[in-house]
Amino acid sequence: MAGDNERVEQYLENLALEVVSLEEGDIPSMGKIMNIICSLEEACQDINDSLFESLLKATKQYLEKLILGETSETEPIEKGVAVLQDIYRALARGEEYKGDASEALARLGIDGYAQGDQGSASEDISEQDEAIGSQGPEIEIEAAEENEGDQPGRKDLSEEDKEIMADFVVEALENLSTIEVNLIELEHNPNDIDTINAIFRPFHTIKGVSGFLNLEQINKLSHSAENLLDLARSGELAIDGAVIDIILESVDMLKEMIEEVRKALDAGRRPTPNQDIGPLVTRIQEIISASQEHKNKPLGELLVEKGAVETDDIEVVLEEQKKDPNKKVGEILVEKGIVKSKEVITALREQKRSRKKKVDFQVKVDTKKLDTLVDMTGELVIAQAILRQNESILSIADQRVYYALNQLYQISSTLQKTAMAMRMIPIKSTFQKMLRLVRDLSRSSGKKVALKMSGEDTEIDRNVVEEIYEPMVHMIRNAVDHGIETPNERVAVGKPKEGTVELKAYQKGSNIIIEIKDDGRGLDKDKILEKAISKGIVSESASLSEGEIYNLIFKPGFSTADVVTDISGRGVGMDVVKKAIEKLRGRVEIQSQVGKGSTFVIALPLTLAIVDGIIVRIAGQRYIIPALGILKSFKPRPSDYSTVEGRGEMIMVRGELIPLVRLNWLFQLSNTFTNPWDGLAVVVENEGEKLCLLVDELLGKEEVVIKSLGEGLKDVKGLAGGAILGDGRVGLILDIAGLFQIAKQDTKEGIQGLQRVA
Amino acid sequence: MALDTSIKVLVVDDFATMRRIVKGVLKQLGFKDIIEADDGTTALDELKKEKIGLIVSDWNMPKMTGLELLKKVRQDDELKSIPFIMVTAEGQKENVIEAVKAGVSNYIVKPFTPETLSEKLEKVFNG
Repeated sequence: MAGDNERVEQYLENLALEVVSLEEGDIPSMGKIMNIICSLEEACQDINDSLFESLLKATKQYLEKLILGETSETEPIEKGVAVLQDIYRALARGEEYKGDASEALARLGIDGYAQGDQGSASEDISEQDEAIGSQGPEIEIEAAEENEGDQPGRKDLSEEDKEIMADFVVEALENLSTIEVNLIELEHNPNDIDTINAIFRPFHTIKGVSGFLNLEQINKLSHSAENLLDLARSGELAIDGAVIDIILESVDMLKEMIEEVRKALDAGRRPTPNQDIGPLVTRIQEIISASQEHKNKPLGELLVEKGAVETDDIEVVLEEQKKDPNKKVGEILVEKGIVKSKEVITALREQKRSRKKKVDFQVKVDTKKLDTLVDMTGELVIAQAILRQNESILSIADQRVYYALNQLYQISSTLQKTAMAMRMIPIKSTFQKMLRLVRDLSRSSGKKVALKMSGEDTEIDRNVVEEIYEPMVHMIRNAVDHGIETPNERVAVGKPKEGTVELKAYQKGSNIIIEIKDDGRGLDKDKILEKAISKGIVSESASLSEGEIYNLIFKPGFSTADVVTDISGRGVGMDVVKKAIEKLRGRVEIQSQVGKGSTFVIALPLTLAIVDGIIVRIAGQRYIIPALGILKSFKPRPSDYSTVEGRGEMIMVRGELIPLVRLNWLFQLSNTFTNPWDGLAVVVENEGEKLCLLVDELLGKEEVVIKSLGEGLKDVKGLAGGAILGDGRVGLILDIAGLFQIAKQDTKEGIQGLQRVA
Repeated sequence: MALDTSIKVLVVDDFATMRRIVKGVLKQLGFKDIIEADDGTTALDELKKEKIGLIVSDWNMPKMTGLELLKKVRQDDELKSIPFIMVTAEGQKENVIEAVKAGVSNYIVKPFTPETLSEKLEKVFNG
C-alpha cells in the first residue's frame, strides 16, 4: 500500500507538470498525459474514494475531447488535476476532503455531482457525458458527415481527380469481389476474426476514398456496412445468414454504383450515382440496433464451439454476468476456473495462424498491351525463323553467325512462352464466383447444396476465363436446379440431406479440363429420349448409344425440367452452353449414372492465341487445319469413292460413308487433280459428325499464332483466321465447325460466302 | 514558419488509390520526395533503408496495422523521433485515443483537405 501511495503521488506530480505546459493541439503531450492518467487509474484502484475516482474519470474524458478536437480549452484539466492532488493529499493524511470539487467537475463538463453519493457516482458521469454533446463546444460527428459536400477544396472534376476516380473504380471493384469470397468463408466460420477483418477492410477503404471523391451515396452505404462489420469484429454482433445476405446486398449495390461512376467517367460526366440506398441503410441500421440487445453472446458461442467449455458453463456464466454486467464472459470463465486463459489464447492464436493469407505481388497491366506483347513476340519468332531460313545467311561460313542465330532462337521462343504465360490467369476467380451462385441458388430453390472446388490454381487464358463464365453458370444452375434433389427426396433415397456440386480444374496435355459434377439424380435416358422424340429432334426408330442420348440435351430447344423454375429452364438450354464452348475450340462431354449424379467435362485449349495445326496444300496454297479436329488422313483408293443420290460425293472409311468436301472447289481454286484418289483425304470430326476434306498433300505440323483476318473478313464461314508460317508467308486457318455448316447448307450459299476470300 | 518540404515522406496505406490521394495532398503542400509502402511490414523495411523525415500512415491495414507500426517505430531508438501522422476514419474515437497513447505526433481524419493536413503538419513541426 505504501508503495502504491508513493506511486500515486509521483503520477499526480508528473501529471500536474505536464498539464501546466499543455497547449491546444499538442498531441504528443496529450498522449503522455493520457498514459499517466491510465497508470494512475491502475495505481489507485484501492483508494475507494468516489470523488477522486469520478474526478479522475472526468479528467480523462475531458482529455479525450481535447485529443479529438471537440474542445480546445486546456485549463479545466489543469484545474481538475490540482483538485485531484488536493483530494489525494487529504486522503493520505487520513482526512476527508473538505474543499469543493464541484467547480472543477463542472469545468470538466460534469454538473450536479453530489459529493458523498457514492453508489451512483460512475453512472452519473456516463449519463452526463452523453448529454454534454448539446451543451459544449463539441462538434458532433454526424453533423460533420452531413457537411462533407461543402468542405473547402472540392472543385469540379480535374484531370487528376478523374484519374484517381478511375483508379478507385478498378481497385474498389476488385476489393468488393474479395468481400464476396470472404463472405462465403465467413458463413462457414462465422467467428473468424481474420475473415471479418478482411471483409471490413475493403468497406472501410471504399468509405474513406469515396469520402475524398465526394461520392456521397457510396460513402454512406459503405459506412453503414462498415459499422455493421465493426460490431462483428468486436464480437457484439453474431454473423448469421441475415447479416451475410445484407452484406452481399450492399456489395451488389456498391458495385452497381461504382459501375455507374465508371460509366460517367467514360462519358466525361460528373458521376452521380443515385440509387436509393435508404431502405438498405435502414435495414443495416435495424440489425445494428437489434444486436445491441444481446451483446456478448458470440464470445460464449465461440468458446463452446472450440470445445473449451460446455454450453451449461456458459449458461452459468451468463447468469453471473447479469449480476455484474461489467464483467466479460471470458473473465468470469477464467475466474471460475472453468477454462484457463492461456488455453483460450493459444486456441485463438492457432486459428489465426492457419488463416493467414498469402499475398501475391502483382502489377496491373492493360490487357491490350498484353495482347500486343503476345502478338509482337509471335512476329519476333517468325522474323527469326525467316532469318534462319534465308539462303544468303545459310551460306555464311562464320560460326559466330550461327551461334548468334541460335541464341536469337532460344531467346525469342522463351520470350514467346513467357508472353503466353502472362495471359494465363488462375481459374480461381471464376470458381469463386460460383460459390456465390451456388449459395444464392440453394437459397432460392430451398435445396441444401455445398460447392467443393479443386484445382483453382489451374491457369487458363484470360480470354477463355471470360468466355467460360456464362456456360459454367448455366451448367451449375442446371446441376442445382435439375440435378440435386430436394432434401426430402435425398433423405428418402438414403443420401445426405446436403447435395454436393464439385468443380474441378486440371491440365491434361495442351487442354484444360473443367469438371462440373453433382451427386444428384443423374440424367434419365428414357426421359431424354422421350422428350427428344416428342420434340422431333430424333426419330422414334433411331437407335442411339448412351452418349448420343446424353448429347441430345445440347440440341436447341431441349429442356428436361418438368417444371420451368425460377432458376433455369426457360427454354434457352444447353445448346447455348455447347456453342459457347465450341467457340473457344473446346468440347463438352457428359457422364451420368441414374441416382448417383452427372458429370459435365469441358475440355478447353490452353490458350486461344496458338493453335496446333496441320499444314496442308490445296491447289498450291497453304492452309492450316487445327489438329484438334483431325481424326486421320489417308490416300483414298478408287474403290472407296462413290456418289450418293442427293448427298453428293462420299468416301468409304472403315465401312462408314463420309461426305467428301473438295476444298479447292470450296475455295474456288483451280484443279490440280480431278480424281479424289490423286489427292489426300483428311477426316475431321465435329459434334459427332465426320467430313472428308480433300487436299493436295500434307506439309507438316506447326504451332501457329492465330491472327484475326480483320473486320472485313470476320464473318466469313470456314475460316478461323490467318497465321504467319515459318517462312514468313501467310496461311489461312480453317474453321472446322464452319466447314460443317457450309457442307450442310445449300452448297451455293457457302460458296458465295467464300467467294470474297478467294 | 514555412514547412521544410525537402524531407522524405513515407506514405503507408494498403489501398493504392488512398496512397495516391495522400501523396497528391502532400505534393500540393510542396513535398517532393515521397515514397510509399502498402503495409506496416514493408513500411518498416523502407524505414530501415531510407532516411525518413515524416510518416503518414493509415490505421487499418492487413498484416501490420498503423498502430502496430507506430508502436514499433516508437520502440526503435533510431526511428522513435520521426514524426508520425496517423490517418483514421471518422467516427473511430477509440483508435485516435489509442494512437495518441502510443505516441503519435498527430492524427488526421479521412476525408481531409490539404488545408487540414497542412495545419496538422504545422503543429507537428512548429509546435
